[in-house]
Formats: sequence, C-alpha cells, structure tokens
Amino acid sequence: MTDHRQTPKSAYMSSGDMLLIVNDALLGDAAELYIAVGLDSRVTAFNGHVDLGTGIRTSLAQIVAEELNVPFEHVDMVLGTTSVAPNQGATIASETIQITALPLRQAAATARQHLLAMAAEKVGVPLDRLRLEDGIIRADGGENWQLSFGDIVAGSHVRLSIDSHAALKPASDYTLVGSSRPRVDIPDKATGRWTYVHDVRVPGMLHGRVVLPPYAGFDHGDHVGKSLISIDDASVAHISGIVSVVAIGDFVGVVATREEIAIEAAKSLKVVWRAPPEWPDLNMPEKALRANPSTPRKLADRGNVDMALAGSTQPMNRTYVWPYQMHGSIGPSCAVADYNEDGLTVWSGTQNPFPMRRDLALLLDMPEEMIRVERMEAAGCYGRNCADDVTADAALLSRAVKAPVRVQLTREQEHAWEPKGAAQIMDVRGGLDLEGGPSAYDFETRYPSNLAPTLPLILTGKVPPVSDVVQMGDRTAIPPYAYGNLRVTVHDMPPIARASWFRGVSAMPNTFAHECYVDELAAAAGVDPVEYRLRYLHDPRAVDLVNALTERAKWVPHTTWGTLGGEGDLFYGRGFAYAVYVHGPFPGKAAAWAAWVADVAVNKKTGEIAVTKVTCAQDSGMMINPDGVRHQIHGNIIQSTSRVLKEKVEFSSTAVQSKEWGGYPLITFPEVPAIDVLMVPRQDEPPLGVGESASVPSASAIANAVYDATGIRFRELPLTPELVLAALNGKMDEPPAAPPAKKRNWWSIGLSAVGAVAALSGIVTMASPWRPAIGTIQRPNADVYSTATIERGRLAAAAGACNVCHVGNDGTPFAGGRRFDTPFGAVYATNISPDAQSGIGAWSYPAFERAMRAGVSRDGHHLYPAHPYTSFAGADDADLQALYAYMMTQAPVDEKAPETKLKFPYSIRAMMAGWNALFLKAEPFQYVETRNATWNRGAYLVETLGHCSACHTDRNLLGAEKSGSARLSGGFADGWEAPALNAFAKGPVGWTADAFYDYLRTGHARDHGSAVGPMAHVVEAMQPLPDSDIRAMASYLASLNEGKEPADPSAQSEAAIAASDEAKVSAALISPKGERIFNGACATCHTGNTILSSLALNSNLHAVTPDNLLQAILNGVEAPAILAQTTGREAPEVMSMPAFRETLNESQIKDLADYLRARFAPDKPAWTETTKAMERVTAASY
Amino acid sequence: MTLPVCFSLNVNDAVESVEASPETPLLYILRNDLSLNGPKYGCGLGECGACAILVDGRAVRSCTVPLGAIGTRRITTLEGLGTPEYLHPVQEAFIDEAAAQCGYCLNGMIIATAALLNRNANPDEDAIREALRHHLCRCGTHMEILAAARRAVAYAKAERTYRSTPDGVSPKAAKEVSP
Repeated sequence: MTDHRQTPKSAYMSSGDMLLIVNDALLGDAAELYIAVGLDSRVTAFNGHVDLGTGIRTSLAQIVAEELNVPFEHVDMVLGTTSVAPNQGATIASETIQITALPLRQAAATARQHLLAMAAEKVGVPLDRLRLEDGIIRADGGENWQLSFGDIVAGSHVRLSIDSHAALKPASDYTLVGSSRPRVDIPDKATGRWTYVHDVRVPGMLHGRVVLPPYAGFDHGDHVGKSLISIDDASVAHISGIVSVVAIGDFVGVVATREEIAIEAAKSLKVVWRAPPEWPDLNMPEKALRANPSTPRKLADRGNVDMALAGSTQPMNRTYVWPYQMHGSIGPSCAVADYNEDGLTVWSGTQNPFPMRRDLALLLDMPEEMIRVERMEAAGCYGRNCADDVTADAALLSRAVKAPVRVQLTREQEHAWEPKGAAQIMDVRGGLDLEGGPSAYDFETRYPSNLAPTLPLILTGKVPPVSDVVQMGDRTAIPPYAYGNLRVTVHDMPPIARASWFRGVSAMPNTFAHECYVDELAAAAGVDPVEYRLRYLHDPRAVDLVNALTERAKWVPHTTWGTLGGEGDLFYGRGFAYAVYVHGPFPGKAAAWAAWVADVAVNKKTGEIAVTKVTCAQDSGMMINPDGVRHQIHGNIIQSTSRVLKEKVEFSSTAVQSKEWGGYPLITFPEVPAIDVLMVPRQDEPPLGVGESASVPSASAIANAVYDATGIRFRELPLTPELVLAALNGKMDEPPAAPPAKKRNWWSIGLSAVGAVAALSGIVTMASPWRPAIGTIQRPNADVYSTATIERGRLAAAAGACNVCHVGNDGTPFAGGRRFDTPFGAVYATNISPDAQSGIGAWSYPAFERAMRAGVSRDGHHLYPAHPYTSFAGADDADLQALYAYMMTQAPVDEKAPETKLKFPYSIRAMMAGWNALFLKAEPFQYVETRNATWNRGAYLVETLGHCSACHTDRNLLGAEKSGSARLSGGFADGWEAPALNAFAKGPVGWTADAFYDYLRTGHARDHGSAVGPMAHVVEAMQPLPDSDIRAMASYLASLNEGKEPADPSAQSEAAIAASDEAKVSAALISPKGERIFNGACATCHTGNTILSSLALNSNLHAVTPDNLLQAILNGVEAPAILAQTTGREAPEVMSMPAFRETLNESQIKDLADYLRARFAPDKPAWTETTKAMERVTAASY
Repeated sequence: MTLPVCFSLNVNDAVESVEASPETPLLYILRNDLSLNGPKYGCGLGECGACAILVDGRAVRSCTVPLGAIGTRRITTLEGLGTPEYLHPVQEAFIDEAAAQCGYCLNGMIIATAALLNRNANPDEDAIREALRHHLCRCGTHMEILAAARRAVAYAKAERTYRSTPDGVSPKAAKEVSP
C-alpha cells in the first residue's frame, strides 16, 4: 500500500496473472471481489466489515488460510476500503464472523477447488490423488513435481463466481482455525510503525479543525443548521498560517498550514450562535424518556398476563434505569480528505465505509463512484463514534481549499458530540404466585436511539434535522426464562440526545432488568438465585453453561443476602447473571451465551464498590482464535464493569457537559478485578459473535452482588459511591456548611460611588488638584550616559519589573496597552518607551521623576495609583536617574496605548490630588541602623523599586494600600490573589529566607508552589538582578515573620501532606464529583509525582478565596521549565498545566475546588463564595 | 501564539531542527514535523496518556509539554525505544502477550512501563498498576497489559544479566524465563 491507498479493484480486474473469486462473474468488472490469488502465490482476501480493534483481521485471515491450506502468513486481509472490498454494510452486532465471513469462506473453498482442478489438468493427475498443503500442490504418489498457486495462475486471468457447492473443509480437519494465532498488527503497533487514520499524511496536506455549535450532543430540532448568527473573521486576522475559514449553515471550520495554528484559529474564532433550545433533564432520564412520544410494539404475549398479575400473592413492580453513556474512544475521531477534479478520497476510521460513502455523495453532490473510502484503523469505538462526522468535515474543508485536509476532533468535541449509548427505562410488572414461582412477567422497555445522521449533513442543511425512529430497543427484550404469563412491549421512540448503538445495544439494559428481577423473585421466594433461574431455564446449552460456571466459581447456594459477611468497613457479596445476547432486528439472532459470577466488596463508610473478581463462562460455538475470544471476554468484562460502576453522561439543559475523562471517568488499572474465564469447548458448533456477549450480564451480576452484600437493591446506574452511600445511610447527608470566610476582597466591599465622590471631593478642597505641565525636550542621546549608569538602570527596571505591566500586547517591551481591571474601571498601562509622540521620549528627568514619585504626568494630569508611585517615592535619586537613562536608551515604539477612561466620577483625575494628600507619603527610604546591610538592601528593593506592596497589600475603599498590619498581608491584583508575605501567609509551611530566595529566583519553592500568573512574569523580569539582591529581598521578607518563624519547615510540610492523605475519604464525601474530576483530570501530575510538590503545600489551596486556584484551572500554568530557563535555573518539570476553560463547566470546577480545598487544606474552612470568585476570575483579563 | 522560533531537539538519539511557536505542544512537533506516529493525540489535557514519551528517561505527556520547555533534554518516542528487529524488552513483552486490542493506548502503556522499569527494576503488582493508573484503555485490555508489564520486568532483568555477563543468556533465550 503506497500513499495509504489500497490497490483498487480495477487493478485486480485488469491483471493478467490472477485468479479472482467474485460474487457474480456475470457482473463483469462491477462484481464484488472476495479473493485474489496472484503470481506471487499470495492470497488477498476482502471483507466489507472492518477491524474495530477486536483482532478480526487476524481471525478472518485464519479462516481464509485454513480453507485454502496456505500458510497463515500468505494471506493479506483488506477490510472495508470501498474501492476494492465488497459492500457488506456496517460493522455492527458482532456479526462479522457469524455472517460476513461466510461468503469469504465459501470463496476460499471455491478458489481451492479451482486451483486443484487446474493442477490436475496441468499435470494430468486425477484430482483425488492431489494434495494441497502449505500452499503447495503435490500428488500423493511421491512424484517429483509440485505446483504453487503462482504456477497455476500464471498467464491467465480467471474470474469465478463464489460456488455455493464448493466443498468446505470439515471442521475436524482444522489446524489453523481454533488455534491462537498471534495478532498480525501488534508488532507494528508496539513499535510505532502502524498507520492509524490519525497517522495518514499525504503530500500537501493542510490541517483543519471544526467549530461546533452550542447545542452539543443534540442533533434534531428546527434550530439545527440554522443557529449561526455571525463569524468575526477579524478575530483570527492576527494569526498567520490560516488558509481558510469555512461556514456552511451551522458547519464552521478552519484550515491552516500547521496543526497548532488550526487549533489556535478554532479557539480564537469568534462565532456568534443563537441560544440553543432547552431539553428535559437527562441526568435523571426516567421522566424524560417516559414523556418522549413513543409507539408500543408488542414482541410477545403468552398466557394471561393481566389475570396472573391480579392473582399475584406478592406483586412486585419494578423500574430499572440505564443512563446515557459514551463509547469513549481513546483517540478522538480524525480523517483526511483529498478533494480534486478526479473525485474525493477520504481516509477514515469509519465503522460503515459504504453507508458513509453514500452520505458523502449526498453532502457533496457527487456520484458515489467518484468517492473512494480508504478505511484505516482508528481507536476502538464499540459502536458509532464521530468517525463518519469527521470524515465529512474533512471532505467539506478539502473541497473549500482544494487541497488535502486532515481534521482532528478535540477530546471535548468527541465527548460532546459522539452519538451516545442511549438511556433506557425498563419496567417489570410481576410477582410471586402461591408456590413462589413467577406469576407473570410484563416487561416494557423504552429506548430513545437512532441512526445519528452524519453531522455535517444536518449542520449544512443537506438533510432535515428530524429525529427518526428505529426499532432497536428490542435486543434481548425477551427474557430467557420460561415465564408462563409473558408480555413484552418495546416502546419505539425518537432520540432525545444524539444517540446510536453502543456495545450490547439495548440488550445490556434489558438484561439488567431481566436478571435483577429474577434475582428479586428468588430472594422473595427464599430460593437460591441460581437454582431459581434453572427452574425456568430450558435451553440445554444455557443450562450447561450455568452449571459449568457455578462449579468453576464454587457457587454456594444461599437463600438470603449477607451470607458472606464482611470485615472492617467492608461487606462482601456475590451475584450471578446470565444472558444470551440476541442481536439484529427482532426476533434476532443469538450470539455467544455468557454468564457471570461477580464478587464485590462494598465499603460502608465511603460507598465505594470494588468488583474484586469476575468469573465468566462463555459458549461461543467454534472459536476461530481462542486467544482472540479470551481477549474479547476480558475486554467486555472490564469495559462493562466500568460502565456499571462509573459511567454516566452529564447534561445541562442545552448540551452535553462531560467533556473529558474526569467528568466521565473510566475504570483504571488499580480497580480492574481479577478475572477467571471459562470458555466452553464447542468447536463442532458454528461460530458465534463474541464482541459483545460477555458485557450483557455485567450490570445485573454486579447489582445482584451488591444486594447480596448489603441487602439493598440498586435499580439505576452507575453505582457511584454517593448513590450507594445515600442508600446505606437511608438518605444523603449534606456536607457540613463551613463558616463564612472573614476576609473580603477590597472591591467586594460594595464601594458606593456616591460615598467615594463625597469622600474625595471633600479632600479635593484641601489639596490643589492642578499641577503644571513640564515642557518637552529633545530625547537625550544615548551616549550621554555611561555604561555603568545604563546597567544600573537596567537592574532598577528589573527590580521594578516595569515591563510586566508596560509590555505591549504583542510582547513589545515598554509599548504599553495592557489593560488592568480595577473596581473603578479599566486602566491601561502607558507606553513608556522613549518615543517622543507615543512614549516618554520628550520627557525631561524632572518630568519622569515627578511621575515616578508623585504620580503626575508630564502634562500635569494625575496618574491613577495602578502606577505604584507611592512605592517609587522612596527610591534613591541615583536609581531613578539610572532608570531614566536606561529607558531613554530603549527602542522607541511609535504606538499610542489606549487611553484610560474611567467612568464618572473616577474620570475626574483631579480627585487624585486629594487621594495623594491622604495616601502619598513622599519620604525617601530610611536605612535601619539596627539591621545589617543585606537586610536594608532587601527592604529598599521590596519597599521602593520592587513595589511588592502594590499587589501584596489589601487596599481600602479608595484603592489605597492599607497600612499597619495589613501591610504585605496579601491583596488582589489583576484577577489574582497576591498572598500575604508575612506571618499572615496561609500556607501550611512558614516562609523562610531560603524559600523566598528559591521562589524569587526560580519561580518555585518546594513547600509553597510555583509562581504563576503575573508573579511568574515578575520572577522572569527580575532575572537580571544579582543573586545578592534576591538574597537581600529574601532576607528582608523573612524578617517580616520575625517572632513567628516556622518551627521546622520539613516537619510542617510532612504534617500537611499527612493531613491531606488523611482527608482523602472525607473530601470525597464532601465532593464526590470533585474527587472524580481530580482523579481523572489532575491526579496524573498531582499525586505520586516526585517532581511537583504536593498540592497540600500549595499556598493557593490555603488561601481565603479560591481565585488563584480558579485562575490555574481555567487558564492553565506554564511549565516550570520555561520559567526556569528564563531565570537560568534547572527545573525538571517540562509539562505545563493545560487550561480547562473550554473543558470543565462552572459547576464541575466548583465541585473540583470544593474537593481540592477539603483534601489539601483540610484545616481551613470550605470556600463559600466560589461562584463569585469565578465571576471575578473570568472577568479578569490577565 | 507567538512567532515561530528555530529549535534543535534531541529525539531518539538524533538532533532534529524544527521551527514553530514555542507554545506548540511537543506532540504536534513529533507527529507532524518529525513524522513520528508513536505518540498519539488522546485528550490534549494530560489525562489519558496516549501521547506519552520519555524525557530523560521519565514518562511525560507530550500534549502538555510546550516546545519551548524541552531544551536539550533527551526525547525518546516509541519508535526510538526499539525497532521490530531490535525490540525493547517492554515492546517484546507487549507483543508476546498480545497486549492490544485497538492499540491506540499502546504507546502510553509501553512508555509508562519502560519508565517504571527505569526507576524500579523490581516493581510488584501494585507498583505496576499504580504506574499505569493514569493511562486509559477503552477496549479493556488491562489484563493483557498487566501480564505484559509483568513479563517486561522479567525480560528487562534477563537483558541486564545478558549485558553484564559476556557469556550470559541472550535476551531471546531469556524469554523462557517465566515472568
């Protein structure tokens, strides 16, 4: 395969030396190809079904090699590619081996029959004397000749129809089929050589991303395709490398030269959408499903159900609820499309190459024959994921830019938009009769799924976004037990959320009801649950299977729950369930039989359920590749255990909210149960599908085991700790309310404008509001300053971190323009580059000094105290002069920064005169004789040039730094909390001089965390300062703690970590969802990692408000290594913390913050104003 | 996104030059500029582990590593761990246990196991499960992956023995050692 393209059928059809087996040779070149034997004696076999990660490629090759008596290695399988494989529909319902492999096997038999006949003719030996072994034909008399397949096909093109009479090899002669061949694909996959669809690269390929509408995960309704209001192309004008922005209806995509540019463009593109419509609550789907219009379809009605129900001695009516779940492919869908004048080629991980080709033809108004689907492997999907959607996305974008385009969906898009496994509601009405038998079984099931039309078809308006109804709720709807009075009704209904088949389709939920209910009957009748089932189970293979399993699992009959007891906080239990998975349109076809014994431990303190062991027996008929079957059974057990214990899609009223693995957790390695698999040998029976069967009994087996452990029946999933705990406690305890935090942000103290004006105007009368302008000068020449002066100025600028605030929005030094949101309005940093027009190039030193010390601009207007002149006022003349010199030698930037325009009354700058009279103390720095020179140097840097107090001191109503004990006791700046630098610091470990030094020098202190947000840039800006200055600042800052020094930092840190370990359980009880998000999204780096310190030491978790934590979660944190590089230090951690702004919603972040606080700062009160903090943080511009 | 800058990277024992914005996640550089298919995009959030690579022998998630943070550190991808002809013991163990269904997560599983062996030559079952805790597999291949990790411990031990004694057993022969 070159260029990731399979050889097309036409090449086989026109090849001179070739034996082809086709469906019907009379169709000529239009015939469908099954087997090709070439000159090299290799066999290429074609199947319309694809490998979804189950290893079917290997099993099909085994079938072909077996039937043709060729070495396994001589067979190549081509799966699904439309240019050559037969159209066998979508790869669904475990039917590849059971159904689509049948013509392939017959084709192989046809080929064998023909090759032997040709050999007989060629060498003149009767057919019955010929032997075919290992792909070589010989006579059994030991003659000295042999023929390979190549020898026979040489020189002729032979095309034969599949001969349905060609003799199949008897199963008793099988050597390859039934043996565990190693998977052919794994060596390449384990070494990075395999080409998944994600790895397809074609010459000239561009990268695309789509921007999806806000009705995430809902695909029907009038709004679909009509919600786009506008796209602001200017929002991405600054990004170079964008090739195109494409919009058709609600389909929006971007194409760029590089992937990261496409990502940036999709993120930055401003798209305005209509508000999405509201849907009923799908988090508790029962009500919504009952209200969904439906059509009842009766599948069975025997005996007299109504009469039997009326006569039940113990009526038992039950409802079982299945949640929406995700297929959850680990690799979000991806595709490459190449649209050109010759047609369209797509490389796709589709499950349905042929149906998808039809959709693409419709979408692009082109004949199907001009479309070629190269089917590539993708991440396992276990049903429909977004593979078809993304293929159509790529096709639209490729058509728009006339070049090959690769589109990769994001994790968030795949989570939100994949067609979900549908929720389902099962009602059972029944009960016990006088003898304790089942009086009746009246079963109703509601399943709102559909075929999930390929998304771009409806987004572009090509097909109307109407919800169709398919009859898919009936899988395994008939219970396996011989209930005398039986009625089964399926309520066919349209989808609510976008949904499609998911492993076990409706059979898994239906069996959840069947197998829990029979357990409930057994319990009510006081009979062992297995014995009770066997009374009504008459299928001999099922009975054999159940008996084999109970023997293997050493099942001990019992008539009541609780017989396994428990220890400590644990209750033990064991549950049984059985199912034969009946798939396909009703009445359907049976796949493999499967039965489970599940062992569980239920923790009564935490509500956690551990599935400790699963013993599973399966009757698969003939197993083509027993190891392959075993792996499928393992996979089904683990995946379904995950679904039962953990998985449920969360919705808002308009969209899917589970957009990453913390909000939609999967089972992890430590939770994987021990598994014992019993494969019933049935090699003489026809093969059965094994892709789904072992999942089907899972939910009921586990729920039955939990009942056995606790006596509590759970009839809804997933069995989360909070659900279990609530049932164990009879009711859910509310998490204890924490006392409100005392400290408030300086702006949250409802500043009354009127009051402020009154206060200020009173002062205005006392101080002259007007200052004279100072005349302009020619910008001084750089050579008037000595190198030493400029250097001193550079260090002063570093100490003052001037460029952190005055940097241009595009990174240009000192260009100004950064916006600061203050309670009084937005303040913009000015251009302080030496440009005469836009900057300070025309300022004399006196004008500069006045601005620095007195907060008055050259032209006489007052500056707002966002400019920390109150600190600079104390700076040395020499430093300010050197700073002036340094600034004058910088590159001028001729660009005006936006003017600060506060709202009335703050717009009256003259009022600042009064403010200054109150708060500006223009005193030079005082050397403290009782302290050493280092301390004094540190004090000078911290208190004047460094202006640490500007951020780290709380401000009063008028925005002035508070004095006294508030000084350096923490403040707010730029949407971040600037923590206390003195004894009021909230972290569990006291600050020492060494810790301050580490933090200021490297941006990281082991016991406190990393500098992020504005502080990271301050650390970066201070990089030019000599170590001695950093040491001096550290020494001074540490002295603020004098008298309250930490006893022993390492003991404090150990204690904090120990406390957080201890708080694990209580924190999970306070915020179970937060715990899951932490485990799924955060814990990979924030636990057990030797490089990052524990969050228990991070100041932000101990702060009074969660602002900094929220900043980090929303916006991410740069890799410490980046900061370390700028400070010239080593920091091994190269990973950055990703931003979760687009991924987690507000309530998820709140749950997470609650958990983090409870877990890592267990001695601190819970945060009560997280929502307000979120508003502040999201409004902040930093 | 800031302007592209030239970087020189040490990848799989070769020096590679790339030009891209320093914020670009390393994953895209490895995949798109260096055509390496081992690391896979799974979530972009450091959650699933599909994009894992070794940096100075430690497993990191390349989707969260900015190009600008990597400096001169040594990067090893699945391709650099071993080749089909000269397999790394962990790769060999995963192949021998057929520890993949779709195989999309396989890169992360192998890299995490290799990193585990780098820091702990004798991990027990708990240590193995803990090392793989934050690597997600949807196919439920966990049993085979755990078996492969156990087998990898034995292979790696055998290889060390082979290397340390000139006439010791070959890694191939050592495969007979039961893990």
